[in-house]
Amino acid sequence: MKKMKSNRTSTIVLHNLLIAVLAIIWLIPIVWLLCTSFSSYSGMNTSTFFPKEWSITHYVKLFQPDSVAQFPQWFLNTFIIACFTCVISTMFVLMVAYATSVMRFPMRKPLMNMAVILNLFPGMLAMIAVYFTLKSFNLTNSYAGLIMVYSASSGLGYLIAKGFFDTVPRALCEAARIDGCSEARIFFQMVLPMSRPIVVYTVISSFLVPWMDFVYAKMILNAGISSKYTVAIGLFKMLDKSLINTYFTQFCAGGVLVSIPISALFVIMQKFYVEGITGGAVKG
Amino acid sequence: MKLTKKVLAPVMAVAMAASSSVCVSAADDTITLTLWGAEEDQDLLKELVAKFEETYSDFKFDIQIGVESESTAKDTILTDVEAAADVYAFASDQIYDLVNAGALANLDEYDEAFQAVAGKSIADVKAANSESSVAAATVNDSFYAFPMAGDNSYFLYYDSSIVSPEDAQSWDTLLAAAEAGGKKVGMTLSSGWYNAGFFYGAGFTTDLNEDGTTVMDWNGTSASGITGVDVVKSMLNIAGNASFQAVADGDLSNQIAAGGLCAVVSGTWDASAVQDAFGDGYAACKLPTFTVGDQQVQMGSAFGYKFIGVNAYAENIGWAAVLAEYLTNEEAQVARFDARQIGPTNLVAVESDAVKANLAITAVIEQSEFGVIQKVGGKYWDPAQTFGENIAQGKIPADDDAAIQEALDTLVEGVTAPVE
Amino acid sequence: MANQSKDTAAAAVSGFFKAIGGFFSSFGTAAAKGDAFVKLSLLWWGAGYARRKQYVKAVIMTVLEVALILFTFGFAMDYVPKFGTLGTVKPEKVFNMQTMKNEWNDYDNSFQILLFSLFSFVVWFAAFVVWMKNVVNAYALQKKAEAGKHINTFKEDLHSLKEENFHITLLTLPVLGVVIFTLIPILLLILVAFTNYDQNHMPPTSLFSWVGINNFLSLFGGGGLTVSFGYSFVRVLGWTLVWAFFSTFTTYIGGILLSLLLNSKKTRLPKLWRTLFIVTIAVPQFVSLLLVRNFFSNGGIVNTICSNIGLTGFLRDAGLVSTSYIPFLSAPGWAHVMIILINIWIGVPYQMLISTGVLMNLPVDQLESARVDGATPFQIFRKITMPYLLFVTGPALVTDFVKNINNFNVIYLLTENVYTTTNQVMANSQAKEVDLLVTWLFRLTQDYYNYKMASVIGIVVFIICAIFTLVAFNRMIKGDKEGTYQ
Repeated sequence: MKKMKSNRTSTIVLHNLLIAVLAIIWLIPIVWLLCTSFSSYSGMNTSTFFPKEWSITHYVKLFQPDSVAQFPQWFLNTFIIACFTCVISTMFVLMVAYATSVMRFPMRKPLMNMAVILNLFPGMLAMIAVYFTLKSFNLTNSYAGLIMVYSASSGLGYLIAKGFFDTVPRALCEAARIDGCSEARIFFQMVLPMSRPIVVYTVISSFLVPWMDFVYAKMILNAGISSKYTVAIGLFKMLDKSLINTYFTQFCAGGVLVSIPISALFVIMQKFYVEGITGGAVKG
Repeated sequence: MKLTKKVLAPVMAVAMAASSSVCVSAADDTITLTLWGAEEDQDLLKELVAKFEETYSDFKFDIQIGVESESTAKDTILTDVEAAADVYAFASDQIYDLVNAGALANLDEYDEAFQAVAGKSIADVKAANSESSVAAATVNDSFYAFPMAGDNSYFLYYDSSIVSPEDAQSWDTLLAAAEAGGKKVGMTLSSGWYNAGFFYGAGFTTDLNEDGTTVMDWNGTSASGITGVDVVKSMLNIAGNASFQAVADGDLSNQIAAGGLCAVVSGTWDASAVQDAFGDGYAACKLPTFTVGDQQVQMGSAFGYKFIGVNAYAENIGWAAVLAEYLTNEEAQVARFDARQIGPTNLVAVESDAVKANLAITAVIEQSEFGVIQKVGGKYWDPAQTFGENIAQGKIPADDDAAIQEALDTLVEGVTAPVE
Repeated sequence: MANQSKDTAAAAVSGFFKAIGGFFSSFGTAAAKGDAFVKLSLLWWGAGYARRKQYVKAVIMTVLEVALILFTFGFAMDYVPKFGTLGTVKPEKVFNMQTMKNEWNDYDNSFQILLFSLFSFVVWFAAFVVWMKNVVNAYALQKKAEAGKHINTFKEDLHSLKEENFHITLLTLPVLGVVIFTLIPILLLILVAFTNYDQNHMPPTSLFSWVGINNFLSLFGGGGLTVSFGYSFVRVLGWTLVWAFFSTFTTYIGGILLSLLLNSKKTRLPKLWRTLFIVTIAVPQFVSLLLVRNFFSNGGIVNTICSNIGLTGFLRDAGLVSTSYIPFLSAPGWAHVMIILINIWIGVPYQMLISTGVLMNLPVDQLESARVDGATPFQIFRKITMPYLLFVTGPALVTDFVKNINNFNVIYLLTENVYTTTNQVMANSQAKEVDLLVTWLFRLTQDYYNYKMASVIGIVVFIICAIFTLVAFNRMIKGDKEGTYQ
C-alpha cells in the first residue's frame, strides 16, 4: 500500500514536471521579449539571452513620441478602431447567427451555402479590390474605412455563434412565441442572455482584430502619416531595414505593452472563451 | 464653366508664355502638397519646408510630410499612384519602374513654371549637380528627378588596427590580414545590388529595354575579355574563404555591431555603426581588387543616388516641382550633410571642407570612378539575389565550369524574361 | 452528420433551382393574370401599392425606381458601355501656368471601369429581382383585395419586421457588408484573371484589356510567357498541401494531448499552467512571430548559443549543415521543419482551449461504465475519448485545413525578407520553397503588380479548397453517428 502511494507521488511529480518543461519551452520567446524590452541597447542583441545592461529607457522613449514612434497615439487610434469594430462585428455576427439558427425562411439555405463558398477564397486576393472600392468612396486613410474593412464582412464568421444558438432549446423559443413574444424580444431577452459565453467570445475576438492586423491597415492608411497608424503598423515599421537597429528594443517594449491588456482580456475571459468556442464547435 | 476653363486653359498658357511676362498670380487658395521622405529625414524636412514656406510667403501652403523609406518608395507608390505623395524621395534604381508606370513627372515640361517661380531653369539645376547624377536622373532624354544624395553605393570599411591600407587593396591580402587578426570580412552576396560589383568590375553590363525587360551578358565574355565563369569562380573562392562572412541583406549593421568583423562592404548609412565598432581603427577606402586567373581586377559597384521626384498626378504639380528642387538645392544638401553625413551631389556642396574630411564620403567618391549606374528591370532582383545566395553558400562547385556556366545561363534566362 | 450535410447540400441545390423556377413562374402568372395596375407596376413600381391604398409603400417604391434610373444614367452608363474594351482613352494633360496645375482630359481607368461596371451589374441584378418580386407582390395584393382579405397598413408592415420578417431586419446590413466588401472584390479579381493587368498595364497611366484564358495557359506551361511559372506552381502547391496537412494535424493532436495533460487529476494548479500557455496566443502574431524569426535568424541568439556549445560544429561534421551557422529559417528542409514547429508553438494552446471545452462535455456515463468494465485509461482514450473528439471537432478540422492553406501570417512573418531561395528557376518566377500559394500571390501583387497571375493563382486556390471541402465532407466523416452522442 505504501509502495503504491509513493509510486503515485512520483508519477504526479513527473507529470507536473513534464508540464513545467513544456510551459518553459512555450514561454522562452516571451521571456526573451520581456528581457530584451528592458535592455539598454537599442539594436538586436545577438550574443546573449539576457541583456548586458538593464534599463527602462525604451519604455520611457515609447511615451516620448518622435517622428517614428508615437506609441500613445497609436494605442489610442487602435483602441477607437477596435471599439467600433467590436460593436459592429458583434452585432453582425450575432444577427446572422440568430437568423440562420432560430428562424426559418426561404433564402436561409442558399445564403448559408454562399457563405461557405465565399470563405474558401483567399482573402488576400480581394485586398486590392477592397482598397479601390474604399478609395472610390473616399474612405482610404480614414478610420471609418478601416473599421468597415474589419467589420463589414464579419457576418461570414457566424458559424460558431450559430452552433451555440443551436444548443438553446427550441421548445423555449416556441413557448415564448406562443405566449406572443415578438422575434425581436426572443432574440434580445431570451437567446442573448442564455448565450453569454458566445457573446463574450465574439466580443473579444472582434475587439482583437485591429490589434493584430498589419496588412489591411498598411494598405489603407497609406499616407505615411505616422500619427495616424495603428499599433500594428507602427510597430511593424520599426523593423524596417533602416530602423531596426535603433528601434528593435522599442519594438519589443511596444509588443509587451500591447500584449499586457490583450493577455489580461484572455485570462479573464478564458472561461467564457472555452465555453463559447466549444458550445459552438460541438454542434458546428 | 468647367468646359470653358478646359478649352481656355491651353490658350491662356500659350498666350502667357508668348507674352513672356510670365507671372504666377498670388492666389488666395491654399496650395496643398504632400511630401514623403525617409524616417531619418523627417526633422530635416520639417525645417526645410518651414524655410520653403518663408521663401514663398506670398502664397499660402499646406504641406503635409509623411514617412516613406526611400528604398521602398516604389512599392507603395505603384500600388496606387494617385494616392501617393506629390513630392517623394526614392533611390535611383527605382526610376525606370516609376517612369514606366507614369508615376514621375517629366520635369522638362515644367521648366517654364519653374523659372517663373524659382528664378532658375531646369538647366541651371542640372549644371549645379554632378554630371553622373543628372545622367542617372535622365530617362529617354527627359529629366525626371532632382538629385539629392550622391552616396548611395558601397565601398570598404576596415579596422586599420588589423588591416593595413595596403592589405585593403585586394581581397587576397584583405582576407589574409583578417585571418591573422582572427576576425572576418563581411559582405552581402545575396543581393543583386552588391554582387553585381564583381561583374561590373570585370566589364560586364546590364541594361534596360524600353518594355521594362533587362539585358544581361554575364553568361558570356566581357569587354575586358573575362568570362562570367571566371568571375563566379573568383567569387566562390572569396566566399569559401574561412575569413569571409556572407551577411544577409539588411543584417549588416547587426553584424557590425556584434563585433566579429574587421572589414565590411557597406555604404555611408552604416558609417556611425562602423565607427562605433572599429573605434580608432575606423578607416574606409574603395573596394578591393579580386583575382581572375593571374590578374587583379578592380571591383566595380552599383552606383546609385537618392532622388526627389514629383508625382505626375500631383494636383499642384508646378509647386510640387518647385518644392522638390528646394529640398535638393545646395543649401538643403549642405544641411542634409550636416544633419546626417550624407554625401551631396551639388558641385559646390561636395567641395566643402567638411565633406572632404568625411572618410566614408571620400571613399564613396573614390569608388565612384569604378561605379556603374545600375540599369535593370524588376525581373533582375530575385534571380540575382538567389544567384548570390548560391555563391555565398557554396552551392555551385568551384571546379565545375559546366555547372557554373549552367547556373549563369539560368540566371540570365530569368533576368531577361519578359515582364508580365 | 455527413449524410445530413450531403443530403442537405444536394437538397439545397435542387431546392435553390426549384425556388428560382417557382419565382419566375409566379412572376409570369402575376404579369399575365394581374389587372391593369399589376401590369402598370411593370413600369411604375408603386402602381400596385397605390391602387391598394398602400401609399407609403408606393412612394418608397417610386423613390427606389427613380434612384435606380438616376444611378443608371448618372453613374452606371459612364462605365458599363466601356466594359467590353475596358477603356480606350489614355491620359493627356496640359499645364496651366496660371494655376500651376495640370488639366487632364477625361481619361479612362480600366480598373475603375471594371469595378464600377461590376458594381452596376450587382445593383441591376438586385433591381431586377426587386422588380419581379414587386409585380408578384402587387398581384398577391390584388388577389387579397378580390378575396376581401385584410391588407396590411404600413404600420403593420413595419411591425412584421419585428415578427415573421425579423430575419430581413437582421440580415440586411450584414449581407450588404459581405456583398460590398467580399463578394464584389472576389468577383472583380476573378474577372482580372482574364485580363492583362500587370506592371506594364497599370491604370491610370496605361489601360489593360481582356485576354481570355491566356493567363491560365501560361500558368500551366503554355502561352509562351515564363516557363518557370508552371515549375514553381507545382512546388509551391506541394508545400502548401504538406504545410496544411502537418500544421492542421500537429496542432490538433498537440492540443488534445496538452489538454489531457492539463485536465488530468494529477495536475496541480491547472489554471495557472493553462494561463501560462494562453499568454503565447495573446501576444499578437506580428510581435511573437517577428521575434521568433529574429531569435532563429542566421546571426541570431539561438545560433550564437548553438555555436558556443558546439552544436553547430557537430552538425557541420555530421554533414547536416554546410554553412557557419544553422540555417533555421534560411534553407529548405530546415525552414520547412522550423515553420511547422513554430506553428505548433502558436497553434497548440489555441487547440488546447478548444479540446478542453470539448472534453468537459464528454459523456460521463460511458466513461463510468467503461471504468467499471475494467478498461485501462489508454483503452478509454482510444475507444471513447478519441472517437468523441473526432466526431465533435471533425468538421472544424476540415475548416482548419482550408484556413491553413490560406495561412498568410505565419509564413509571411517568418520568411519574408529573410528566406532566400537557392533554386534559380523558382527565383525566376519570384517564388520560394517556403511560399504558400497565398504568400506567393501576395508578393506577386505587392512587389511585382502582377495582378493577373495572382488572380489566376487565387482561383486555383479556391478550386483546391472547394474540392477538398467537398471530398472531406463526403468521405472523412462518413457514417451516421448523429444519434450516438445526443
